[in-house]
Amino acid sequence: MSSDRALIEVRNLTVDYVGDHSIARAVNGIDFDIREGEAFGLAGESGCGKSTVAFALARLTRLPGLVSGGQVRLNGEDVLKFDKARLKAYRWNEVSFVFQSAMNALNPVISVSEQIMDVIETHEPELGQEGARARAVELFELVGIPPKRLDDFPHQFSGGMRQRICIAIALALKPKLIIMDEPTTALDVVVQRDIIEQIVDLKKRLGFSVLFITHDLGLMIEFCDRIGVMYSGELVEVAPAEAILTAPQHPYTRALGNSFPPLTGPRVRMEGIAGTPPDLRALPQGCRFAPRCPLAMDICRVDAPELRFYPEHRSQAACHLLN
Amino acid sequence: MIYILRRMAFYVAAFFVAVTLNFFIPRIMPGDPSARIIASFQGRLSDAQVEAIRASYGTTGSLWEQYLGYVGQVLRMDFGISTVQFPEPTSSLLFYGATWTLVLVGISITLAFLIGTMMGIHAAWNRGGFFDSVFTPLNVMLNAFTPAVVALLLFYAFSLQLQWFPLGRAHAMGLAPSFDLHFIGNVLYHATLPVLSILIVSFGGWHLGMRNVMINLLNEDFVILARAKGLSDRRVRYRYVARNAIMPQITSLALSVGFLLGGALVTEQVFNYPGLGKFTVTAIESRDYSFIQAQLLLLTMSVLVANLLSDIANVILDPRLRKG
Repeated sequence: MSSDRALIEVRNLTVDYVGDHSIARAVNGIDFDIREGEAFGLAGESGCGKSTVAFALARLTRLPGLVSGGQVRLNGEDVLKFDKARLKAYRWNEVSFVFQSAMNALNPVISVSEQIMDVIETHEPELGQEGARARAVELFELVGIPPKRLDDFPHQFSGGMRQRICIAIALALKPKLIIMDEPTTALDVVVQRDIIEQIVDLKKRLGFSVLFITHDLGLMIEFCDRIGVMYSGELVEVAPAEAILTAPQHPYTRALGNSFPPLTGPRVRMEGIAGTPPDLRALPQGCRFAPRCPLAMDICRVDAPELRFYPEHRSQAACHLLN
Repeated sequence: MIYILRRMAFYVAAFFVAVTLNFFIPRIMPGDPSARIIASFQGRLSDAQVEAIRASYGTTGSLWEQYLGYVGQVLRMDFGISTVQFPEPTSSLLFYGATWTLVLVGISITLAFLIGTMMGIHAAWNRGGFFDSVFTPLNVMLNAFTPAVVALLLFYAFSLQLQWFPLGRAHAMGLAPSFDLHFIGNVLYHATLPVLSILIVSFGGWHLGMRNVMINLLNEDFVILARAKGLSDRRVRYRYVARNAIMPQITSLALSVGFLLGGALVTEQVFNYPGLGKFTVTAIESRDYSFIQAQLLLLTMSVLVANLLSDIANVILDPRLRKG
């Protein structure tokens, strides 16, 4: 399904939030690739920086956010250095977005057709209005909504349908990468299942890559090929999904996995993860997870481990326990 | 459509409540206009004369009969004869004054709304930039002035001292009203300072309102999505953000109509402008009951009509209101 060729290479990406008197480093020099046709997942607690990474990839970071270092390479070109014209072409042609809340992702006062057609007309003006309309009809059929509803307004659709419309908009220009930031969080589980199956099906047919963000590790393991686990602005583990499920290497990954109850088997008391993530303005010395880590050693509190590849586990992880 | 009809029914009901209050409140007070006039003759009137005066003021018969008579007159737009500008019918005075007030308030409200809203859009879009840092506080300050102060300052500086603008009237004396450039130019020349004095104190409110709503919308997912789509700046700004921010602005526009008509009262007084406000002040000074009553009713009506128009505008602008 996915090739080994990297579509997006993120290198040492660093994003800060600049306050009046302090700087919070929300993303601290992370590296990962998204391969062609791959679904890559970013998991982690709220505030760990996963959405910040997604925004930086799409060049949507706005003050007080500031991309302060690193590269995001698309087929070798650095996205972070794009000028205005190249950026306009990059947006939606190459990378599109599906947001968490389909409720708010559509402009409530203009028709859905206009919201699909405007992006087509902006990027492919040669199609004309009729061409754009024909494309919009195709897209509606693609996500299984009757095209006769094209001129309806967002409030006339259910939550699941709205999210399908968002997916149709994301597919409008056949992008290479779709960033999905918690695409199913606002939906009930049945609709959630439908939407995920639809995305899987579309991905198979159209061959785009997905950057999938959620804190629902179970859903992510099912949908993604590879998963990166973030903690406090850093990647602590990057591994194939089944390795995350069966052999998580980093204690945080393990703890995150233990936070979700199994659907079958005996009832167990959920453990959760004791403590809270550190304040980004006052980070502990050494490993950032050490204060909450049940296995922390002396070295963990002094020296920050680096993300390293462990072939025997097929996993990249940043933990002293593995050395 | 049903929504509009429901709103219309509400406004008709509100109008009748206003008419009723307008009828009963003056009658709670002791005495009535005919009693005042009759008293001023100190008993030198025959019974027939007293009866005639009472009849002309509609103060004969039971309260209920008077009320029905009053409602009938209101519906025919017959507000009786003005006591001060005798024998001019009140309705024609009212119509004359209303025309000029409409010119004055119409021009200034439109300009203030357009200028303020555009400035608000610009300030919000470049939040914290030069334009926002200079004009937002400045407009807040201007907005805090009262029309009276600004009108007096403008009148003193430009009419009295510099004499760039006329000292009063809606158009030059002896100029017959007509729809040609010369007359309209003359009207605009006379309206400049009064319009300016209302404009200066009111556009800041629209600036602030638009700016604040816009800034809240900038963090909405659909705006971020619009930017991610690579749409032009203009399109995101107007079609996605301003398009949503304009609806509360229109509602407050309707709410401000009554306030503006009240403000025009002072402005018209300062610039000796023959609008409703000017007539009202004269009417109050000379106890012209029929005019005051009719004027209050007109004020009520214009606020109701403004609200109805804003309801209609919001239905056109907001598809969520169209159903039900």
